Amino acid sequence: MRVRVVRTGGFAGVERHGESDSARDPVLARLVDRVDLDAVPPPGRIPDQYLYDIDIDGSTATVGEAQLNGPLRELVHHVLG
Amino acid sequence: MPPHILERVATAGDPALRDIARRTLALSAGVRSERRIAPVRPAAPTEDFVPDRTIKDAGYRTELPGDTVRAEGGPATGDPVADQSYEWLGTTFDFFEAAYRRNSIDGAGLPLISTVHYGRDYDNAFWNGEQMVYGDGDGVLFNAFTASLDVTGHELTHGVTQYAANLEYYGQAGALNESMSDVFGVLVKQWHLGQQAADADWLVGAELLTDEIAGVALRSMKEPGTAYDDPRLGKDPQPGHMDGYVDTYRDNGGVHINSGIPNRAFYLVATALGGNAWEKAGKIWYDTLTGGKLSATADFATFAATTVVTAAALHGDDAPEVAAVREGWAGVGVQA
Repeated sequence: MRVRVVRTGGFAGVERHGESDSARDPVLARLVDRVDLDAVPPPGRIPDQYLYDIDIDGSTATVGEAQLNGPLRELVHHVLG
Repeated sequence: MPPHILERVATAGDPALRDIARRTLALSAGVRSERRIAPVRPAAPTEDFVPDRTIKDAGYRTELPGDTVRAEGGPATGDPVADQSYEWLGTTFDFFEAAYRRNSIDGAGLPLISTVHYGRDYDNAFWNGEQMVYGDGDGVLFNAFTASLDVTGHELTHGVTQYAANLEYYGQAGALNESMSDVFGVLVKQWHLGQQAADADWLVGAELLTDEIAGVALRSMKEPGTAYDDPRLGKDPQPGHMDGYVDTYRDNGGVHINSGIPNRAFYLVATALGGNAWEKAGKIWYDTLTGGKLSATADFATFAATTVVTAAALHGDDAPEVAAVREGWAGVGVQA
């Protein structure tokens, strides 16, 4: 599965992009199995917080910095890193 | 994909930088945004407002609020970041009192809370609905976010906006929310330095970029889109005119991008009126934000029209100030 992550927002408003494919990335494959994008709460409107747009094979979610926990946090970290 | 030149830190060749970027990325905290409606008791005209500051230290973790290191009137901590944050909070508080007779964020003496040393190499500062939070920067691309007075002014003004018009943090209302923070952020700095409109640099976050970065600041209100152009940061994406308005769902609908348009409108009005920008132009914007007539979902045109109404209320329908406000908005392609 192809995973794309875009970080936007923050005081600086500087975007950051990352992309990886689980077929060539066993760590990502294990993380994807543990993530449920449908269970992510709405990001909230917190001034200057980071927002993460996550796309896993066309399934998408926007996650606020405050909600970025657990396996999803690891996944974002992994793909953007 | 928005027409936004992309940052390349994540793919840069320097492994140390990538590691820093990685740690900055995935942070969490129990933050939330809420509006509090506080009844504001009118202050006596001679009442001297005094701040109630608390500086907390997150110890490079991401739990808020952290441990108190300095309370109002307490001795300096010896930590330059904590002490700078304390000073900038006081300067911003004094600015709102001196310029607009506002007693703190809510107009009713709300305590000011700042947490410093948030996260590791954290390249950001934010307002979480209750307090300000500052990262130390990564030291390679960004310095500590306490370095610029206008960043404290920016974050504290998010609180003022929350208690005033409460502009929704999305789309044009969100870009206006961002612009309010940039406007009053730079006005705090100009007031602190005793600079007139014509003498100010109109930059936001000038002290945040390290010497490594090809750029002068994070945003320019005078010339949006020109603040930086760097291989690692990309290019400043801000438009300074409606012709360059960016339609995007990202960043809450481009709040940090399209804020360049109302930012430049303010710059045009302030320099047309001359003198101290916080006195005439700033007062028109402040009264518009806090006057109770502005909808939380106002778009640029609605906000612009309200600034014209405010200017007329302050100076009279036929005053040159009213014409200057209209011309400022026309200069960025917004019909006021």
